[in-house]
Amino acid sequence: MTESDGYILLALFLVPLGTGVLLMLTPSRERAAVIGITGLSSLAMFVLSVYVFAKYSFTGAQFQGVLAITWMENVGLLSEKGMQLKVGVDGIAAVMVLLTGIVIMPGTWVSWKIQDRMKDFFILLYVLVAGVYGTFVMLDLLFWFFFYELALLPMYLLIAVWGSTRKEYGAMKLMMMLIAGSVLIFTALFAMFNELGTGSFDMTQYFAAHFDPTFQKIFFPFIAIGCGTLGGMFPFHGWSPDGHAAAPTAVSMLHAGVLMKLGAFGIIRLGFQMMPEGGAFWAPALIVVGITAALYGAVSALRQTDLKLMTGFSSVSHMGYVFLGLGTLNVIGWNGAILQMFAHGIMTALFFLLIGGMYDQSHDREIPNLSGLARQMPIWSIFFVIAGLASLGLPGMSGFVAELHIFIGAFRAYPIIGGLAVLTAAITATYLLRMFAAAFFGPLNPRWSGLKEITWTERAGAAVLVGAILLLGLWPSPWVDRIAPTIIQSIPGVTL
Amino acid sequence: MGMEQVWVLPAILAGVFVVVALFNRLLPHRGDFLAILGMLAVVALVALVLLDFQGAFVGGHFDPAGTNVYAFDWLTIGHDFFTIQFSTFVDSITVVMLVVVSFVALMVMLYSVGYMHGEPRYGWYFALLAFFTAAMLTLVISGNLIQLYLAWEGVGLASYLLIGFYWERRTAAEAAKKAFITTRIGDVGLLIGIILLWRATGSFDIQTIIAAARSGAIDETYLTVAMLLLFAGAAGKSAQFPLHVWLPDAMEGPTPVSALIHAATMVVAGVYLVARFSPVFAEVLVARDVVLYVGLLTAVMAATMALVENDIKRVLAYSTVSQLGFMFVALGAGAVTAAMFHLFTHAFFKSLLFLGSGSVIHATEHQTVEQLGGLRRKMPITTLTFVVGGLALAGVPIFAGFWSKDEILVAVNEGAALPVYAILALTAGLTALYTTRLILLTFFGEPKNQHAFEHAHESPPPMLGPLVILAALATVAGFVALDGVGRALGFAGGIGEILYLSSPHHFEFNAMLALASTVVAVGAIGIGWAYWSGTAERATRARLWAPELHQLLVRRYYMDDLYQALINRVILGLAGVVAWFDKRVVNETGVDGGAQLLGFFGYRLKFLQTGKIPNYALAMAVGLTAIVLVAFGRQ
Repeated sequence: MTESDGYILLALFLVPLGTGVLLMLTPSRERAAVIGITGLSSLAMFVLSVYVFAKYSFTGAQFQGVLAITWMENVGLLSEKGMQLKVGVDGIAAVMVLLTGIVIMPGTWVSWKIQDRMKDFFILLYVLVAGVYGTFVMLDLLFWFFFYELALLPMYLLIAVWGSTRKEYGAMKLMMMLIAGSVLIFTALFAMFNELGTGSFDMTQYFAAHFDPTFQKIFFPFIAIGCGTLGGMFPFHGWSPDGHAAAPTAVSMLHAGVLMKLGAFGIIRLGFQMMPEGGAFWAPALIVVGITAALYGAVSALRQTDLKLMTGFSSVSHMGYVFLGLGTLNVIGWNGAILQMFAHGIMTALFFLLIGGMYDQSHDREIPNLSGLARQMPIWSIFFVIAGLASLGLPGMSGFVAELHIFIGAFRAYPIIGGLAVLTAAITATYLLRMFAAAFFGPLNPRWSGLKEITWTERAGAAVLVGAILLLGLWPSPWVDRIAPTIIQSIPGVTL
Repeated sequence: MGMEQVWVLPAILAGVFVVVALFNRLLPHRGDFLAILGMLAVVALVALVLLDFQGAFVGGHFDPAGTNVYAFDWLTIGHDFFTIQFSTFVDSITVVMLVVVSFVALMVMLYSVGYMHGEPRYGWYFALLAFFTAAMLTLVISGNLIQLYLAWEGVGLASYLLIGFYWERRTAAEAAKKAFITTRIGDVGLLIGIILLWRATGSFDIQTIIAAARSGAIDETYLTVAMLLLFAGAAGKSAQFPLHVWLPDAMEGPTPVSALIHAATMVVAGVYLVARFSPVFAEVLVARDVVLYVGLLTAVMAATMALVENDIKRVLAYSTVSQLGFMFVALGAGAVTAAMFHLFTHAFFKSLLFLGSGSVIHATEHQTVEQLGGLRRKMPITTLTFVVGGLALAGVPIFAGFWSKDEILVAVNEGAALPVYAILALTAGLTALYTTRLILLTFFGEPKNQHAFEHAHESPPPMLGPLVILAALATVAGFVALDGVGRALGFAGGIGEILYLSSPHHFEFNAMLALASTVVAVGAIGIGWAYWSGTAERATRARLWAPELHQLLVRRYYMDDLYQALINRVILGLAGVVAWFDKRVVNETGVDGGAQLLGFFGYRLKFLQTGKIPNYALAMAVGLTAIVLVAFGRQ
């Protein structure tokens, strides 16, 4: 990646922001125009994301495409390079950018069904996406936080206005918990700024800062819990199942698919990269939290009857693997954690896309009420089974590659925990296969004889996601070749 | 085409799968011919691989390391730190598996053209068969454990989808689920075992691991645990106690699938895995003994359950479980050659029996013996081939099963305690007994359902062809054991060289033991004949003779009930507690409660804002006094 690619990184969040502005200028009744604009814009984001991923050179520097535009300096507390719009990606961010591009395109497609205030929906959705991209590529601490919040706040309106099932409650709960997390992040952020004392928010200075170990041990949990809340970390996951159940399809896709990864990404960037000794100190806690969440989410999912709640608990379980991987402090476990962020993102987006495709027609997600849907919606069922198989870690699909690394990493660190993690995969298989048998197979419930196959846009969206699942599952080296060198090179405290 | 290019075999079928799965609606005959052509090509190429293998086999000396030739890095972390390298590996075990898998798959596909004619999802069925065969071939040529695990789960997926092929039936959907989850429990062990082996050796390469284990570089207890975990995976896949419960239910799938997956190929993957690691098992005898006793227990249990079962396919399923137990007993006694030989012959006669039962079901649309009987008059070819398969299964001399079962008994006689031999011989007798019962009640005696009998007809040629070919093989396949036949096939040492392992193991014919087992088999057939032949009501006599015992066997030793209770009470109960905890404690108490607490304080505190000037003035005065006092107090 060359320096001029920094403009591509800027474009990643400027495109959705610009689209938002353009949509504001478009009349609401011109649905075709809205569809055209968002279609082109999401395609552009997809292409740009793939470009960033492809161009990231895994033999090059740690951060590539670095570009800094000075925003404010030598004012008040700020000294030289005080606050800059500074972008750049490492291997981890490149993978996350790709994930966002892969999820937003189908997310846009399936939202064209929205009848009520579609334009406004897209404006908020694209602001959210701009926040997501910005967070992944930003190398300035304050701007990082700005984009992080930009990604969260539209969520409230998106759920409260366009949601379903206790939507006000879900939206409020989600927002309150995430804002509480943000308060912790904000506190740690200024504590670090103060401790650094150079009057700059430039992240590279923080990576090299070597804060006092006691300071790190105190403030690492602020980041871990603050970002962990967004990552669905047990026991701060309460918003996740209810929020997912309430959110409209594309928002669930974006949220479970990408936003939860923002939380884990924050733990890596602000936590492990800036406070490695604090991370090492708290790593056993991450292990405990991770394996507990994995088991707890999986076991809870066994008893859920709402399809979206089940997927929500499944997300808690799968994100538990991410924290477990991070806690292992070895390259294999970390590699697995980041692969899992990608794999879970794709797979959950597919889950929510499909649930939405069915729920829009049936207005019922209770598993016991569904039966024999494979007769009525065979293509939908095939896609759903693929998503489920990816979720339960079937080899050849994305989930397995990620989980395998996490298992091995866990076995290197704590064999018993590794064994429990493998067992969790069997529980995952149990709740998913029980759901398949109950909802898709068996005789058709006559109530659903009017259901139609999912639309072509939904099929196309699902096909994109399935393609990504299989690509990572069968040919993981493009991902691993970017992630592993980044970890070895730039995460202090993570050993081989 | 030689051993180096063996990866082509699964690649062909994977291509067939993709084409047929996606485009079967556009193809004539839903693409079945593509699957069959692909399979024919594979069989032809297997013949070439076999020739190449013989060529590499000069003077009884064979270097297995030299065949691990095709390899590429699937993924790498760091330089030489963590690498998963996919590779192919061909040795004698692989060759036997290649022959069995490709040949039986071809027979089953040909048969399916007749059997599945007019069924819904016909194209999807053939796509799945191609997918299964591709995965199974990948499994047996894998040189790497991760690659093996990938294929291992791939065949499991194919099995899941094919058991649930008639998913509109609730029972089929449940059976598919049960099969997948049960084998998955074994696979937890397998994956942990693989990771433990990697942890000890730093490699996933099977030959590297075997070499490390044999050199004594791994702690013996550690290695024992790892091998037992691998065996857990094998026991799940090969339906060994206590994970055997899924296989009888798996008979919900189409019958040709039962022949291919649940008799000849996938279920022997566990046997293959243990055979593959036999040099390591030889180092850890505790683990090997576990294999032996689990196999023995399974063999006896399944054979007794087969005695009372009335569904033809389920009898055959129990029989498969039991015969797999025989193979594990041989492996546990250290006789890999005998196990693989039995795997080889069993594949032919058991798939023959399954396809024969499919022919009966196709003709009568019934599959319990209570509705059948006397079919020999309507279906002479099916009857004849079924009887040949039954004789092979019972272990009657000259038929294939006789040679291999005898080889296992010889090995057990040498390598295990006498009671093991006695129990196994008894089980061989039970095998002959239930086989006799099945044949008598299906093909002989009086028809029990006159309507079904009248509509019965011999099956069409596409189904009879495979039956006849397999019947011929079930008759002669055992002869490869003989040195003369081995020489004629290009292996001077007969079975010992075909199944060359760490040390050549020649076929040992022990006349006394052979005579004894012949007496047992023929005697059991005689007893069965005396007991069950004749009128319909004789079939039910066992039930009246010992009702409790009969009930115990019919209820499958209550193991399914036990598992169901365990799932319903313990696991779902625990899940209920966790779900309750999450709802009430974490959410309603923690999150909502926190919010309500804040709201409560907000409500209380708002009364401080009275809006009355004197109140504020008072507060200011109190505050000011406090500040002054503190400031003076410090001085």
